[in-house]
Amino acid sequence: MMPSREGARIALAVAAALALGFAVMACVSDQPWAAFRALLTGPLPSIDHTADGRVVVHRLVRFGAWLQDATTLTLVGLAIAIPFRARQFSLGADGQLFMGALAAAAVSLALGDVPAALPLAFLAAAAAAATWGLLPGLLKTRFEANEIVTTLMLNVVAVQIYRLVVGRVLNDPTAGFITTPPLPDAATLAPLIARTTVTAMVLVAPVAVAAALFLLRRTTLGYEIDLAGANPWFAARAGVPVARATMVAFALGGAFAGLAGFHVSNALLKRLPVDLTPGIGLEGIVVALLARGRVGALPLAALGYAYLRVGAQAMERATDVPREVVLVIQALIILFVVSDRLAPLALGLLRRVRASMGRRTA
Amino acid sequence: MSLDLVAAGTVAAMMAAATLRAAAPIIFASLGGLISELAGCINVALEGVMLVAAFAGVITSAYSALWFPDAPLWLHPWLGCAAGLLAGTALAGLLAVFHLELGADLIVAGIGLNILAQGLTVLLMAHLTGDKGSTASLTSFALPSLRWAGLGDVPVLGVLLNGDGDAGHNVLVYGAMAATGWVAWALRHTVLGLRLRAAGENAEAALAAGLPVKRLRYAGLLLSGLLASGGGVFLGMGYLTLFQADMAAGRGYLALAAVFLGGRRPLGTVAAALVFGGATVMAARLGLLAVPSEVVFMIPPLVTIAALVLVKQHQRLAARRRAAAGRAALISP
Repeated sequence: MMPSREGARIALAVAAALALGFAVMACVSDQPWAAFRALLTGPLPSIDHTADGRVVVHRLVRFGAWLQDATTLTLVGLAIAIPFRARQFSLGADGQLFMGALAAAAVSLALGDVPAALPLAFLAAAAAAATWGLLPGLLKTRFEANEIVTTLMLNVVAVQIYRLVVGRVLNDPTAGFITTPPLPDAATLAPLIARTTVTAMVLVAPVAVAAALFLLRRTTLGYEIDLAGANPWFAARAGVPVARATMVAFALGGAFAGLAGFHVSNALLKRLPVDLTPGIGLEGIVVALLARGRVGALPLAALGYAYLRVGAQAMERATDVPREVVLVIQALIILFVVSDRLAPLALGLLRRVRASMGRRTA
Repeated sequence: MSLDLVAAGTVAAMMAAATLRAAAPIIFASLGGLISELAGCINVALEGVMLVAAFAGVITSAYSALWFPDAPLWLHPWLGCAAGLLAGTALAGLLAVFHLELGADLIVAGIGLNILAQGLTVLLMAHLTGDKGSTASLTSFALPSLRWAGLGDVPVLGVLLNGDGDAGHNVLVYGAMAATGWVAWALRHTVLGLRLRAAGENAEAALAAGLPVKRLRYAGLLLSGLLASGGGVFLGMGYLTLFQADMAAGRGYLALAAVFLGGRRPLGTVAAALVFGGATVMAARLGLLAVPSEVVFMIPPLVTIAALVLVKQHQRLAARRRAAAGRAALISP
């Protein structure tokens, strides 16, 4: 999957970020060790034996939260990684996710309790988010509008459209807070593991990754996307429709973010509150970075990063360390992973220290 | 009739003063973004720089009052201001080290530093005040406002120059104007400005001409950090008098958009920043009417996108016209 050297480098970066994160925790907490332990073991279920010899599994909820979070992160990771194949820095997964969730909920509510509601909501989420994802592609190829800026701006617009529709169109006046009515049962996914929110979507994520891999590696379209990213000038000279490939990459990324939105609306929450928190889309950047842009490595990166996120929630509940410490660790991971010259520099320093120590002892 | 005129003029002056106030932090940050962009390094970390500067400024001014209770009151905000500028510049310096020394991708490292700033400020705020939302429990200080004496009764001008409540504009609003003038002048007329632009325009040629490109890029990024810090300090010690989590609220990214929108020129950049400030004020005004707040919040981002597209169209048309004129000149003799 990933060359082992690259894997080792990323493991080193993560370890260094965790170590520095611990240093930060030691500065702001009275119980840094307990906090660190909670962070690192939080997502694991605990297995106990009762007095009469039965095996009991505790804390399955957090384990479920881990898998469920990894599912979302894999999908938003795809939403970042695919446009990046065309060398486009899309930060738009957030807005696309909101659009996908909104479309899925709207279609589910409109269709009601019919068997077709589930597949149609799924498709609607992908289609709506792909359309939303296409916008920055259009703006980039037609008007050369910087995609970092446009995707960030479109995120704001998407969240506001979401709030407008949930608050004023789909609002359930009997709920007591601003939210859509519960989605019909036929449109929602049942949990695979009891007492968790792990649904069939946990299987959809790897399938989505496989589909994306197939598309990128085995189809003309994928080849065009890669070429457009590697050298757009050359690709255009060779007759590759660069603009089309770029737009397709944007739309495709959007479709996967839309599936993440479907995951949120029809599998996790089963109704959409107006104050759904933005930001998960940006976490996709971390996942795509940890995978070093390799689509096949996304699930692994998502599992690792989701582990940290769920651990942080456990830590915040159990100790005095706010979960924002994970933002710090996340930032450090990003910085260390992209610093190509950091590892050689550190190793060189280490070697020099060792050499000087050897001289001293000799 | 003339009364109507005065009333309309007063409203316009109020809008202008509010626009200036809302735009000041974006002006600071966009000038910073412009300098580093011209030096060849896009600074995505403007957002984080503003956050860190606002946080350091507010916290230092509050603790300065605790540590030096005997010091004159005017000292605390200025100590905070200095700390804010220092902290924000240091974050930009970190970006420079990661990019120029460690080979990190500039955009990704910038995003990373924004996340770092977001996490660290909330973490430290929770540690110091026990509150993850804002520093409302601390007594922090605002930088002074400058008020033109004797304008209280002058109809339109008084509102324009001394603001809505006749309290005057914050010293950093004037700072933003001064920074605009200084950046516009320095980029054109100083050796450093020329060299910065050379390093950004064509690094290889600049190197061949003997320019220390790497050092120039350090200078560009550090200067951009210093300027954006001015915006951050204004947010915490002028616009409001406390620090809030995620206080920059996307202004750093707006500033980046202003640089592109302004065609990478100082006055164009500041004009774009003023448009963004105006969009915020407009949004607040419309919010008083029956327009849903969600629609109001969409205005600034939509203005940004529309402006990006329109400016590009304009530039493309101008280029086509120039090319046509060139062809005509070639053919006619």
